[in-house]
Amino acid sequence: MAVAAKGQGRLQEHLVEGSFQNKDFVRLKRRKQCLPPHHKFSLKCTGNVQCFLLSYSGENAVNHFFFKLKCILHCFLFLLVFGRAIHAIARISDEFWFDPVEKGLALRSVNSSRSAYAYVFFSSMFFQHYCWTAAAQPCQKEKQLSLSCKLIIKSVLPVFRCVNTLERNVEKCSIYTNINDHHITFQLLCRHGVVKTYNLTFQECDPLQAVFAKHLCPNILKVHSRLLADVMIHFPTSQEEVTLAVTPMKVCFKSYTEEDTDFSKTMLTEIQLHPDEFDYFQVGVDSEVTFCLKELRGLLAFSEATSVPVSIHFDVSGKPIAFSIEDMVLEASFILATLSDVEKAPASQQPPCPSQLQESSKTHLGKSEKPSMGEDSNTEAAAPQEPQGNRSAPDTGSAKPLSPLGKHKNTPQVTRKAVTGTQGAALGEAEEHGLGREATASQYQKFHSLFFGAVSCKEREAFSHTFHSLATASDTEEDFGNMQSSQVF
Amino acid sequence: MRFRAKIVDLASLNHFSRVINTIAKLAKTCTLRLTASRLYFILSDKVANGGIGMWCELCQGNFFDEFQMEGVAAEHNEIYLELVPENLSRALKTAQSAKAVKIKLTNKHCPCLRVAVELPSLSSSSRIVTHDIPVGVIPRRLWNDFREPSVPDFDVSIYLPMLKTMKTVVEKMKNLSNSLVIEANFHGEMNLKIETDLVSVTTHFKDLGNPPWASEDGCQSSGQGRDLESMAEARIDIKKLLQLLAGQQVNPTEALCNIVSKRVVHFILLHEDVSLQYFIPALT
Repeated sequence: MAVAAKGQGRLQEHLVEGSFQNKDFVRLKRRKQCLPPHHKFSLKCTGNVQCFLLSYSGENAVNHFFFKLKCILHCFLFLLVFGRAIHAIARISDEFWFDPVEKGLALRSVNSSRSAYAYVFFSSMFFQHYCWTAAAQPCQKEKQLSLSCKLIIKSVLPVFRCVNTLERNVEKCSIYTNINDHHITFQLLCRHGVVKTYNLTFQECDPLQAVFAKHLCPNILKVHSRLLADVMIHFPTSQEEVTLAVTPMKVCFKSYTEEDTDFSKTMLTEIQLHPDEFDYFQVGVDSEVTFCLKELRGLLAFSEATSVPVSIHFDVSGKPIAFSIEDMVLEASFILATLSDVEKAPASQQPPCPSQLQESSKTHLGKSEKPSMGEDSNTEAAAPQEPQGNRSAPDTGSAKPLSPLGKHKNTPQVTRKAVTGTQGAALGEAEEHGLGREATASQYQKFHSLFFGAVSCKEREAFSHTFHSLATASDTEEDFGNMQSSQVF
Repeated sequence: MRFRAKIVDLASLNHFSRVINTIAKLAKTCTLRLTASRLYFILSDKVANGGIGMWCELCQGNFFDEFQMEGVAAEHNEIYLELVPENLSRALKTAQSAKAVKIKLTNKHCPCLRVAVELPSLSSSSRIVTHDIPVGVIPRRLWNDFREPSVPDFDVSIYLPMLKTMKTVVEKMKNLSNSLVIEANFHGEMNLKIETDLVSVTTHFKDLGNPPWASEDGCQSSGQGRDLESMAEARIDIKKLLQLLAGQQVNPTEALCNIVSKRVVHFILLHEDVSLQYFIPALT
């Protein structure tokens, strides 16, 4: 049975309330409730899920802001997919952004050397129940508070540790946020009445988003993830980097070798494929791009769980390569930096001619927008800063000097992208951190980093995140069986 | 020096992979000797190897559909290569459904064994996976180091119990001690003993049987003028024994060991078309 209800604005709404039992049975109850203006909610229920939803919200009497999010994962398949997504993101970095928006839940992650970016978005339809509610200040119109927070992967991973057995043991997984004490709660309802609750602290901060225009890529391949997995299995698990070489006649994945590779000690593997094996094959320019295989493996496992084909967008060496999957209820993109062979100058030399390097990176500079790094919304520099690392401002005007290569990365690759919220310089403080940490990631010496911008946030404004959430609200959320309308807020 | 070989039959490929997997578990680096009719995987019992010796012999006709080689010189029609068997094992691991596997000796950047696996694919042309395994060519003056070891003058020769059982026993013993005493007699009895400060454990095997060796001079034949019950024993490193037992993927048709008291234990494992000899020196 399918139940749907949508509400908006000042109308009196019919809330549909039900309880979830393990089996196929639903009790419906109607309830009228007056909703505050500007509040939206939507209830959906996909075909094979036998339960429904319920939603409530409101403001408390003293004008406190609060924010609450709840999304419930049900259905074995979905839990597996969600768990795999977490694992895939875990391969990129130790922390990730957990960013619920009205349309769904976005997970983002960037690696420490800024050479890999993962983005997974689950639309609200993916979940059995997705409730994203916000209360607006009465005097502000159409403003919706949102929560974006950063979590440590290590804390979340144990929740979804044995992804394959998750489906057997877990009946339901709920995720709630509690702004008040900066906690996100993952609750797994397992067999035999076991309930596992994980309360994880988060840090609030604006997420980053990689700037990459897929549609500008001349080379596009689309293939089922099974094929990619079958190809990657031939490489040893210790293989860090892999080169993808394409011509209109063939596609070749091979182990990456550099000039000073000791051939007498390394085993090299190469796989040749015919274009016919791909569901979609477009090669506009012959190219050889080298990217980090380890970071990709997570996405491959994830896409196998979803059985959605993988699209690969890329250009020449140096430009990022994007692996993405997309279907009705979710989309994911892993954007990896690729090695560039522009720099002929050895690391010890003084910075090579800046203009030469800037050339390669400026081909796609947007006309107007300056991409920016907004890690913490407060630390945006207003003016282009002197790069300590060697990223030049993407500004066509300035030719920033490049510091000696050493362990630093080269000028970033940028493609245009509108970033509405935050403007500013190419480098924020955050860059320094990135570069500092990079010293240890020497294998990324020559990787071009991606450009990042703050997530465009038409809805976001920089107001203080002082939320109060009502303890009672969270508590009553837990028992779905007897849903009472939440207290008057 | 040229070498090229091809396997087309899946069963032979699996069999060959299993042999390579066993070798990979026994030695990190070993010598591959190629002759017109046979392949040998050799580990010479140098101190560097911990005194372990290995000699594994295969008849190429049982595995390869095509096999051509040209040695260093006409009168020395052999090739000796040093390689890491783990690499070869890995290259063959993902070739389980291959249409054909070709192995070739090449010299692009350095001498390599190029393993080209042709896999079936959805499109008309197959998928080709190529692995370049670096090898070292062993010059002729060093060939003497790799001669076939002779069967030692043993004190006792006995058939081994079921390898699986033996492996389970030794595996548990490994947790208690680093060395193990293996002793046997001509009465078909074998004991595996460990002893520590806290505990001593002995596992007794009976009715194993003793292989009949053709007596060259009479003194090695079982029973003649020899006390059947007296045990010959040697203390060996448990880990090395476990490596041998754990690496076996197929049950051998014959498995026996020769013990030279306090010197060395010589294991012989025979399959249909592969023979493996393994020497574990006694600990002093």
